[in-house]
Amino acid sequence: MSLNNGQTLTASKQDLTKNDSSNRAPWEDAKMVLKPSTSTRKPKPPKPENAITIAVSSRVLFNMEKEQQIYEQQGMEEYIKYQVEHETQPFSPGPAFSFVKALEAVNTQLRELYPESEELFDVVLMTNNHAHVGLRLINTINHHQLFIERFCMTGGNSPIGYLKAYHTNLYLSADPVKVREALEEGIAAATMFTQEKIMEVSQTQLRVAFDGDAVLFSDESERIYKAHGLDKFFEHEKAHENKPLDHGPLKGFLEALGKLQKKFYGKGQRMDCPIRTYLVTARSAASSGTRALKTLRSWGLEIDEALFLAGAPKGPMLEKIRPHIFFDDQMFHVEGAAEMGTVACHVPYGIAQRVIKREIKDKEISSAPK
Amino acid sequence: MVSTILNTDVKQKDADIAVVVAVTSRALFECEADDDGGDDVYGVGLAFPLLKALHRVNERLLEQNPAESLLFDVILITTDSQQQQQSSRIISSTRHYGLDVGRFCFASEDDFIESLLKNNVQLFLTTDRNEALQASQNGVLSVMLDQQIASCPSEQLRVMFCGDAIIRPDAGPSQQASQSFSSQLGEMRRRFGMLDTPLSIILVTSCGGRESCGSALRTLRSHGVSVDEAYSLAGSPRGPILSLLRPHFLLSDRFIGLDE
Repeated sequence: MSLNNGQTLTASKQDLTKNDSSNRAPWEDAKMVLKPSTSTRKPKPPKPENAITIAVSSRVLFNMEKEQQIYEQQGMEEYIKYQVEHETQPFSPGPAFSFVKALEAVNTQLRELYPESEELFDVVLMTNNHAHVGLRLINTINHHQLFIERFCMTGGNSPIGYLKAYHTNLYLSADPVKVREALEEGIAAATMFTQEKIMEVSQTQLRVAFDGDAVLFSDESERIYKAHGLDKFFEHEKAHENKPLDHGPLKGFLEALGKLQKKFYGKGQRMDCPIRTYLVTARSAASSGTRALKTLRSWGLEIDEALFLAGAPKGPMLEKIRPHIFFDDQMFHVEGAAEMGTVACHVPYGIAQRVIKREIKDKEISSAPK
Repeated sequence: MVSTILNTDVKQKDADIAVVVAVTSRALFECEADDDGGDDVYGVGLAFPLLKALHRVNERLLEQNPAESLLFDVILITTDSQQQQQSSRIISSTRHYGLDVGRFCFASEDDFIESLLKNNVQLFLTTDRNEALQASQNGVLSVMLDQQIASCPSEQLRVMFCGDAIIRPDAGPSQQASQSFSSQLGEMRRRFGMLDTPLSIILVTSCGGRESCGSALRTLRSHGVSVDEAYSLAGSPRGPILSLLRPHFLLSDRFIGLDE
C-alpha cells in the first residue's frame, strides 16, 4: 500500500514537473509565494510617521497649462468636460517631475541597502481638483511609471488639514495662497515655478539647493539689512558670529535629508552619496558667512557645499550645480534661477514679502495722477 | 402590529420615484430610557443634522424644478415596543422641529424589518448595531451612525463611499440595494453643477494603492455616480482623514459599523 502511495506521489510529481516549465515541485511554488519578493512585487508605501512625506500639487507635478487656461477663460464646467474627454491622454511632466523621479531613485537605493526600513520618501499627490480629473491623473501616473499611491483630491476644499494628517515634511504647489497657509501652520512649503528652459539634471543623485536667510534660517538678519543697510548687516553678523540664528521654515526638510544621508554614509557611501545638499547664499564668505556655517553646525546639520555669492546673481552658480530644486525667499532670485533653467521655488516667508508689498504700494502712490 | 401615520405637515413624495430613507426615533431624538417626561418635546439626536441636510437637498432640487419627484422621502420608524408607545410624543417632536418626515411607522423589535421592506426603504439609519445587522441581512442597505461620523456641522450632505469595499466581489443581499441607492444618489448629484452643490460624494480607499481607487472610481461611474472628492490612503490611518472629511454617513456593499 505504501509502495503504491509512494508510486502515486512520484507519478504526480513527475506529471506536474512535466507541465511546469520551470521544473519546480508544487511545494516549492508555495514557498516562493510566501517569501516576500523584492523585484517583481510593488513595494508597500511606508507609514506616514516614518517616511519623509513630500506633497505635490497636480499643477507642479504635471504640465496642466492648457487646462488651467480653459478653467480661467471658460470656467469650471468646461474645464471638467475637457479633462474627462482627454482622460486617456497623459499630461506631460511639470516642474516637480524630475525632483519626484530623483526621490524615487533615492528610495530604490535605500530599499536595496535597508530592505526593512520605512525611512523613505513618500510622495503624495495633494490637489484641489475634483475627482472627475482623478482617472486622468491616475492614468498619467501610470504612464510615467511614478510610484505615487497616496493622493487627496479635495474637490475645492483646503488641503491644509490633509497635509497635517500625512505628517507632510514638504509641500509644493503652484498656488502661493495655499503655500502661505501651509507655512503659517508650520509646514515647510514653497511655490514652484516652471523653468523657462529645461536643464538636464542627474538621474542618480538628488540635489537640493537652499538659500540661507528666511529659508534655512530665520529672517532676523535680513531685517537688519533691510532696515539699516549692508554695512550694519556685516557688523551685526560679525558681532553675533557665535550666536546661532533662529531656524527658518525649511530647516526641518534639510534635517530630514541629513537623516537619509547618514544612512548612506553608514553603508560606506559618503563620497558618492545619492543625496547632495547646497547652500546658495548672498552672504559673503569673508564676513557674514561664518555665522551661517556655525549655525548649521550648532544644529548638528551638515551641508555638502556652501556657496557664498556676496550678492552676485545666483542663476549662473545654480546652472553649474544643477539642483533638482532650489528654495529662495526672494522672487528676484527665484526668477533669475528659473530664467536659466533651474526649478526654483519661492518660500513666501519673512521680511522680504512685506517689503515687496510696500514697494508696490509706493509705486502705486507715486504713479497716481497729481 | 405596525401603525403607519402620514405626516400632514409635509407634502407627500412620489413613492415610486423618491429615495426612501428610514431613520429610527432613537437616532433622531434623545429618547431617555426612563420615559415619563409626559408630552415634552425630545432633544435632538445624532441623526438630526443629517436629516436637515437631506431636507436641504430636497429644497434645492425643488428650487430647480418644482415638479421634481426624485427626492428623499424620510420615514421615522420605531424599532422597539417602548418607543412604539411614545407615538404622540414622537409626532409632536417632529412637528416642533418642522422636520421633513413623510410618515411614521410605529413598529416594535419583532416587526420593524417587515416595515422596512413593506415601505421599500432604500437606506436605513440607526444608532443600534444589531438593528443595522438585522436589516442588512434582510437585504436593506443599513448604516450605523456613530458620534464621530454623524455629528457633522456641514450644511452640505456628505456621503462617503469606502472604496475597498465596493470592489470586493462578495455579493451580499444588500449589494444590489447599495448599487441602486448609489445610482439614485448619483442621479440626484447630476441635478447640480460642480460648485455650490448641496450634496457631495466622497470616495476613500483605505488599503489598496492608486489602482484600487481608480477601479472604484470606474465602478461608481458605471453605476451612474460621479465622485466629487477622492482619497487614496494606501495604508495610512483612516482616523485623521475621516475627522477632516466629516461625512454624514459611510457606505459600502455591506453593513459598515465602526472602523472596520
